[in-house]
Amino acid sequence: MAARSAEALLGFGFIGIMATLFLGFQWAPSVSIDAFESPAAQRIFYWHVPAAWAAFIAFGVLFLGSLMWFFKRSPLGWRLHVAGAEAGLACGLITVWSGCVWGAAEWGTPWDWTDVRLNTFGLLTLLALFLVLGRQSQPDGIETRDTFSTFGLYGFVLVPLTYIATRIWEIRHPGPVIGSGDGSGSLSGDMALVLLLGAISFTVFISGHILMSMRITGLEQRLEQVQHHIDGGK
Amino acid sequence: MDGMNYLTIAYLGMIVGIAVWTWTVVTRSKSIEARLEAVEASVGVSASEADSVAKEVDA
Repeated sequence: MAARSAEALLGFGFIGIMATLFLGFQWAPSVSIDAFESPAAQRIFYWHVPAAWAAFIAFGVLFLGSLMWFFKRSPLGWRLHVAGAEAGLACGLITVWSGCVWGAAEWGTPWDWTDVRLNTFGLLTLLALFLVLGRQSQPDGIETRDTFSTFGLYGFVLVPLTYIATRIWEIRHPGPVIGSGDGSGSLSGDMALVLLLGAISFTVFISGHILMSMRITGLEQRLEQVQHHIDGGK
Repeated sequence: MDGMNYLTIAYLGMIVGIAVWTWTVVTRSKSIEARLEAVEASVGVSASEADSVAKEVDA
């Protein structure tokens, strides 16, 4: 049942993501030629922004899971931690990749080491990579889970820092186009609609991935128990 | 390079990334489920849903 729900979410999310891509290319208006160095490449943001949004949700799940494991020793918390790290890594890589390609087209360089937003988000993705690879290379146990949960807890500091970075230090990465709070958003209605569809679709898609990942962790634990039983344990 | 080329590279990379990620997760889930069912059937044991590490803490 849980597997079916996860697969359904993955399917609906994927359809929505592809619809966003289609509408972004065929329906959403072009940006002003004067406003951008590479106006065509601007359409990257129909997946770039929703992927970053989904990454933030995943890092939120990672934080919640770490909190639940560290303070409550909750098995559900550990599953959330694992799922959040994996989803955060995937969405983080999608965001970094699309951002680098857009940067190369628009700025002439894929990365700017002086930009706070780029570097804090890059660090978040590296944190997720560390957690995913670390879990795969270490035997499962209380100490391992405590260590990784600590990284999940403290690493979350980077999420609000990344969010406010362009509001405080707008160096290279553009400022917010919607929800800026000062009414300076420059997004047309049609563009905002496609972006909203993208954000909803990525949210549904990542929810499916998180459920699927939590299920895999549960199955791995059951498999380990049977293995333990075969080896002569209780 | 033309802006459309950058756009194509970006979206192709993301589509491949999403496809590989989803394919890996779904096949991993099905593979582990099949292994667990096979092992449980052959040994005659049904593993509980409980997390053994969390149980270790409770003990």
